[in-house]
Amino acid sequence: MKIRKTAEDILIDVISYAVMGLFGLITLIPFLNIIAKTFSEDWAVVSGKVGILPIGFQLDSLEYVITSSRFLTSFLVSVIITVAGTALSILLICVTAYPLSKKKLWGVKGVMILYVFTMMFSGGMIPNYLLIKNLGIYNTLWSVILPGMINVFNLMIVKNYFESIPESVEESAMMDGASHTRVLFTIVLPLAVPTIATITLFTAVNYWNNYMGPMLYINEPGLKPLQLYLREIILEQSDAVLSSQSVDDQLNISSEGVRSATIIASTLPILLVYPFIQKYFIKGIMIGSVKG
Amino acid sequence: MKAAATAPARRTDTKIGKRQQPKCLKCLKRYPDLYLMMIPGLAFLILFKYVPMYGLTIAFQDFNIFAGITGSPWVGWANFEKLIGSSEFYQVFTNTLLISVYKLIFQFPVPILFAVLLNEMKNMLAKRTIQTVIYLPHFLSWVVVSGLFTSILSTPSGLLNQIITALGGEPIAFMMEKSFFRSVVVTSTIWKDAGYGAIVYIAAITGIDQEIYEAARVDGAGRIRQIIHITIPGLSSTIVLMFILRLGQILNAGTEQILMMYNPVVYEVGDVIGTYVYRMGIGKMDYSFSTAVGLFESVVGFLLLMSGNFLCRKLVNRSIW
Repeated sequence: MKIRKTAEDILIDVISYAVMGLFGLITLIPFLNIIAKTFSEDWAVVSGKVGILPIGFQLDSLEYVITSSRFLTSFLVSVIITVAGTALSILLICVTAYPLSKKKLWGVKGVMILYVFTMMFSGGMIPNYLLIKNLGIYNTLWSVILPGMINVFNLMIVKNYFESIPESVEESAMMDGASHTRVLFTIVLPLAVPTIATITLFTAVNYWNNYMGPMLYINEPGLKPLQLYLREIILEQSDAVLSSQSVDDQLNISSEGVRSATIIASTLPILLVYPFIQKYFIKGIMIGSVKG
Repeated sequence: MKAAATAPARRTDTKIGKRQQPKCLKCLKRYPDLYLMMIPGLAFLILFKYVPMYGLTIAFQDFNIFAGITGSPWVGWANFEKLIGSSEFYQVFTNTLLISVYKLIFQFPVPILFAVLLNEMKNMLAKRTIQTVIYLPHFLSWVVVSGLFTSILSTPSGLLNQIITALGGEPIAFMMEKSFFRSVVVTSTIWKDAGYGAIVYIAAITGIDQEIYEAARVDGAGRIRQIIHITIPGLSSTIVLMFILRLGQILNAGTEQILMMYNPVVYEVGDVIGTYVYRMGIGKMDYSFSTAVGLFESVVGFLLLMSGNFLCRKLVNRSIW
């Protein structure tokens, strides 16, 4: 059945494609600009001629960034925080969500209220800061890894998924004498792989992007993750700092080029996992919004 | 510090426990392993969420880091009196409200518009491509986003100023100009989160029964009337819900974002409660006063959320939990 388009149809088509296309373009332009600045010749960057396409081509800025020891150190710190934090957090969330998914279990409702309340009310910046100091984990990577381990939103997503698994699946295993721990790890978790993959990616992105935590709790230069390093680079307004780092004269790089290259290099991991996140996050959000 | 904070939690346990003790004991005996599995999570919850809540009591003390919470003298409401009397706080409070309200007016409707427009795009390839692009900035940190914006808005060589100069205008130092700072904050929020924010509404649109559209078409309703009479009403309860969640955050104007973007030149228009707490607490080590400011923010946010949720249940029969 083919319906002729009315003027109204055309109007809606034009508006929707134009507005969304325009916003898509606006989203892309800062990326294109920063990529262009990374690869343009230094004179073009300094004289402010670079738009969304590179002028000339060089890899020196990027090479300078990814071979600098400060960048590599902070990159490694970020990788450690992200991998350790995500692994521990997902394990903790799964183990916590499993008993909480047993609706008939006494006390589950009360415990859930304890968790949900923390979504609405929190101690805030200073009490958290003092806690980290008192625990003696200030200036250690634990100060960034531990506080974010239980994300209540993720906990609810996993709990809701566990609740949706038919009881009969678990009961048959229990008949054979398996313990709850065994059921969780051999039967329930394999079923929940897509859900767990979703929250794993979200958690990893959160750890990678975390700025406030390390800003408050880490002072030691060698332990600063990438976001803190990137912040310092962005703040370095003039060439002064860069020249004091004895940039090789043969390298034709500008501080603006280095800044752009640092942004690119620290965003690359996110861009690489983004296609995988995208596959899952719509589903994740939908689970959350149905229940939440 | 630890023992004191676990006390309230334990108290609620025993209260419920007394009423249903036999059942409780039976449960514990039957499923000890299930209860054991709850312990690590609860330990983390208490240590990293409830202990800081207990730490809020320093708002009522003249806290001394060497004396600790137990040794510091109590001062009652003195910190809050100082807060209400402070002209600096008045400025910060005004900035917070202004930026939040601007975000509410200019940012909040955008994801709804996007969801409606995306729903009208019938070419799946174009729709998917645009979705992929506009969701992306949400996954970048504020450090990166502020880097991108600093680069675009810098003087005189930033992209936007190149365009302004090409059109014959004078370059503008957007990040350094008081009159532009709040606009930059709101715009960058829209750039980062408006696309991603549409997902919730897209999910709600998916839930609308297609037969209603079918029936409307048969009755001769055009696409504009379908949007007004089917899509928007179908979104209304989600809109109310999201609005309430946003309302609970009204005193959080985006601490991390503003911390990344502001500088002493624009403190007057850009300093918000979150950044003020950071500057007073961590910068000047005035722990008690900054905690009082933080507690004020938390309590107001909590009350707004609760009353909003109450209204929501009355009005659209949906609640946030």
